[in-house]
Amino acid sequence: MGIEKALRLVKDLPRVALNNIKNSPMDQKKPHNLRRGWGKNKTHGRGHKGQGQRMTLPKLGFETGHKPFYLRVPQEYYYEGHHLKRQYPPLSLLRLQRMIDMGCLDPNEVIDISSICMTGHYHLHVDRRHYGINLTEEGAEKFSTPICIEVQWASEMTIATIERLGGVIMTRFYDPLSLIALQDPETYFKTGKPIPKCKLPPTDAVEYYSDPKFRGYLADPEKIAEERVALSQKYGYDLPDLSESDKLSLLLKRKDPRQIFFGLHPGWIVNLTEKKILKPKAEYLQEYYHS
Amino acid sequence: MALRRFRSCFTKLQVVANYHSFVRLCSSTYKSKYSIENIYPNSDPNFLRKVEFKQTYNNDTEEEFTGYIPLDDISIKAVRGSGPGGQNVNKVSSKVEVRFHVESATWIPEWIKKNLIENEKGRITKDGDLVVTSEKTRTQMLNQADCLDKVREMIYNSAKKPVEMTEEYKKVVAKRLAKANMERLQRKRADSLKKKNRRSE
Repeated sequence: MGIEKALRLVKDLPRVALNNIKNSPMDQKKPHNLRRGWGKNKTHGRGHKGQGQRMTLPKLGFETGHKPFYLRVPQEYYYEGHHLKRQYPPLSLLRLQRMIDMGCLDPNEVIDISSICMTGHYHLHVDRRHYGINLTEEGAEKFSTPICIEVQWASEMTIATIERLGGVIMTRFYDPLSLIALQDPETYFKTGKPIPKCKLPPTDAVEYYSDPKFRGYLADPEKIAEERVALSQKYGYDLPDLSESDKLSLLLKRKDPRQIFFGLHPGWIVNLTEKKILKPKAEYLQEYYHS
Repeated sequence: MALRRFRSCFTKLQVVANYHSFVRLCSSTYKSKYSIENIYPNSDPNFLRKVEFKQTYNNDTEEEFTGYIPLDDISIKAVRGSGPGGQNVNKVSSKVEVRFHVESATWIPEWIKKNLIENEKGRITKDGDLVVTSEKTRTQMLNQADCLDKVREMIYNSAKKPVEMTEEYKKVVAKRLAKANMERLQRKRADSLKKKNRRSE
């Protein structure tokens, strides 16, 4: 009889939520009473004489009259959160042209954050919240090589200078663990860790990387094509027709959003001494690295 | 901002031969759940394809200006700028001059040209060339962009059609004027009261 009633209640009553539950009567809080009880007589937990017993203790932070620490140091809201913000150390187009002219970078290969870090002329410190390269406009007038480049931040004028010469620029996000692998691949491979799969950008960066105006890697390719023409009209240059160029395969080369190195998949372990690549066979790993 | 209209008139033109080679290139590489083909399944991944857009206008109907300026039909000159700056301003040609003949320009719709000549009388030479200069920034590229932006704005302003003065609109205008006048009188009364209260007698 009781079981049937209970089952009917379970069926009819609403879902358990925060607005229809309460503590059991057995679960009562003990009242805090310092006036009565064993050992709580006489001074009632307040000790002998002084400010402690007489309720005249000074406020928290008081330092007996001189200016206390919390009032001595001024608040600087200008720098609030600066130690947590993403930083993109700049690399000017002038420096980039110089690196190409000196032979440090090959314009016939895709210029990646790896290739720039390995020239030795640009340094990235991942522990200092450096998230990649910011390609600046300094030297835009002197830039004269068609290149295929992948950076983390680029302004409109930088994009215009590269595209007017018949090059391709793409902005791409890398998370810090991937950057550790990218800035010095040799050291990373020697650690024996598998190639990490790159994480997607954080919420405040997703808009930038899905914007075709900044040639984001998560943007719609059709809209990127339209934006290329619109930019050429804005800055007043003839957009070179790259569909007939022999460099087309190089210019269209793109990494997958989860991929870090060209030709290498996340999850692989690269053995430099034996010149071998170890690939994961297990299905759960394959699923993880393809998700 | 002046390119808003231009962006909306794009049409697709697929370059088929290079698309196939592009697909062949990508088939043997790594593909995750977030690859571009999965995020945008209906988009052409060849972002270097040629995009066609409207370049000529039909002069029978009053077609709007799209914002497209063919760079072969205008002359762009880089000139040395003015003002302070020492050696830099003396040597670097960062001022940009854009010049074109208005009457013979095929890229402006005919019905806009008349208004353009009237509105920009000060910028048009005796030969009928519209001259626009810019030395707003320190770089030639940005000044060139500014010049072209100015040209587009001039054409858009010349293309504005006058407001139709229907009976309803006349009433709306009269109502607005009456309200503005009432507010002006209120402010005047308030100011007068303020000054009166300051006087001590």
